[in-house]
Amino acid sequence: MTPNGAIVFGLLVITGATIARDLPGLAVVLAVAVVFALGSGKRVVAALGWSAAIVLPLAAFMTLVWVGIVGRAPAEIASGIEGSRANAAAYVAVIALRLFVIAFVIQAIFLRFRGSTPFQFVRQVSAPAVAKKLIVLTLSLIETILHAVDRARIALIAAGLITRRPSWSNLRNGWLLVQTVWLTVVTIAIGRARDKWPIENTLSLIDGALTDAAPRRLTVIDGAWSLLALAGAGIAWSMR
Amino acid sequence: MARELLTGPNFSGRSTGLTARLRAATPASAFFVGPYAEAALSGLSSTVADEIEIYRARPQPVRPAFSAIDFTAYAARKPPTLSGGEQVLLALHCFSLSHCRAIGIDTALEQLDPANRDDALAYLSQADTRGFDVTLIDNRLEQQDGWTQTAMTGSADVACDPVAATAGLAPCAAPVIAIERLSFGYPKGRTIFQAVDLALEPGRAHRLAGANGAGKTTLFKLLAGVLAPSDGAIRLDGAPYAPWRGGNRVFALATQNPDHQWCGATLEEDVARRRAALARHGIVAPTPDAIARLATLLGAPSLDAHLYELPLAARKRLSWLWPFSGTLPWIMLDEPTVGQDRATRDALASAVTRLCALGYGVVFITHDEEFARLVDHRPLRLEHGSITA
Repeated sequence: MTPNGAIVFGLLVITGATIARDLPGLAVVLAVAVVFALGSGKRVVAALGWSAAIVLPLAAFMTLVWVGIVGRAPAEIASGIEGSRANAAAYVAVIALRLFVIAFVIQAIFLRFRGSTPFQFVRQVSAPAVAKKLIVLTLSLIETILHAVDRARIALIAAGLITRRPSWSNLRNGWLLVQTVWLTVVTIAIGRARDKWPIENTLSLIDGALTDAAPRRLTVIDGAWSLLALAGAGIAWSMR
Repeated sequence: MARELLTGPNFSGRSTGLTARLRAATPASAFFVGPYAEAALSGLSSTVADEIEIYRARPQPVRPAFSAIDFTAYAARKPPTLSGGEQVLLALHCFSLSHCRAIGIDTALEQLDPANRDDALAYLSQADTRGFDVTLIDNRLEQQDGWTQTAMTGSADVACDPVAATAGLAPCAAPVIAIERLSFGYPKGRTIFQAVDLALEPGRAHRLAGANGAGKTTLFKLLAGVLAPSDGAIRLDGAPYAPWRGGNRVFALATQNPDHQWCGATLEEDVARRRAALARHGIVAPTPDAIARLATLLGAPSLDAHLYELPLAARKRLSWLWPFSGTLPWIMLDEPTVGQDRATRDALASAVTRLCALGYGVVFITHDEEFARLVDHRPLRLEHGSITA
């Protein structure tokens, strides 16, 4: 499968999840995403777990508000009917499952290309050079934040302000970690932008690296997966 | 093609001179290896393979590759997870594959072990035949044949007196450190330590040596509680000590990159936070006035100066503040002389000698043989997962 094909597939699944209006429709779209992920080999359970972890906080909050406090679904409020907590729960379930499908299909695409580096993936995507450059810069920022977290942890643990294991010190000084991380991100970014990049014109170097590899055309496999995603979206639409 | 060595003490304008030379080079044809990773690598890559790909000349490299280590084995690693020396080697590898016609290296070679450093200097010495210019700042390099030497004469030196900084310290009864069957490996990575036994005695200096990437800094992180061993124990005078659980209350650490140790934006903020943490462990830190005096002796213009607005060499000197404060009985210095001129290095060696005489325990990592010769020490070699005396 090509990166372009994976992106088309992902967009179709996300479209299917967006137009599905009830749980059975979403279940069909989720099934398509799971089949796709299974084709990537292992780690599907981990991807499901991460998707659940991403969605659970929002689901818990919505359950508290719509089921616990409001007691009616939004559509029932708009129609002026009495409504029920069961309908409110169904509404929350649809929203949560929709987000779950979106989070899961994105991870499934990453799983499919876990043998490639992020840069290799971006190189093969058909997109304007500016868009690809923005993706690289975004990934760079994410890496910088992760690195800053590591650096800040080293500083604060070595100074005795926080500990490796959960502790009261960590609760008391957690804000210091956040502050130190952001200070580190800013100083790393300034350091690069002031010292390294202007001398080398580093940002122009990635232009050459990104345009060097011609984006791969869609393959038959891309088409087959896209058709499956389209079918899932169609079924979800017909079940509305 | 030119080979130029910029000489002079710290703050004499060497770094400014180096960047000016690179900026004068043809646009997009200069490569800069700064003193630390943020100014050595592009920061645009998630993996070592991507970093190489960004710089690789197309359709093919124009000169032989500099490959002190085999980076294909590191392809999937994130560049910041490499050791300081490995990051410098990666930067040099990227340069060798690039189309850049000029390279400037600001003290970065000081982080390399002797074998890698010799390889790097040998590669750079062939600049003429390989078609590039090189400008180098290196505090450990004497005049080299075929290199133009330019003495920088700026006079913005910042007074730094490590000997005076340690003059008023009281004697200390540091505990004996016993490391017992310590094992550690990074997740999904190779094993760094395999059942290491080691005793560190107070009142003397211990030098930890080993190749770039051997795990020297990892040992410091274990002792400071930043990492937890997979097996084994540490004892202080026979009593169990697990800083990865209860926090560090023994080791004052000066990191290789000084910016890896600040706990605030200003020295005042950093000091206040550390004092509070020490107080919670029941450790009495020197008074704020004493800390301020110490900071001045190490070259701080004032406690409320923004740390990141100071030159890197000045920040490096300030990283010695807590180790020299006498607050904690053991002192760990990770490449303390990187970026420091000879006068400061010599003074630092005297300060370390004094700390040992007062009963403090010192462990230092250095590839600086001259510094090591100035400090009476017990050599420790880290190799293949074990430490040998």
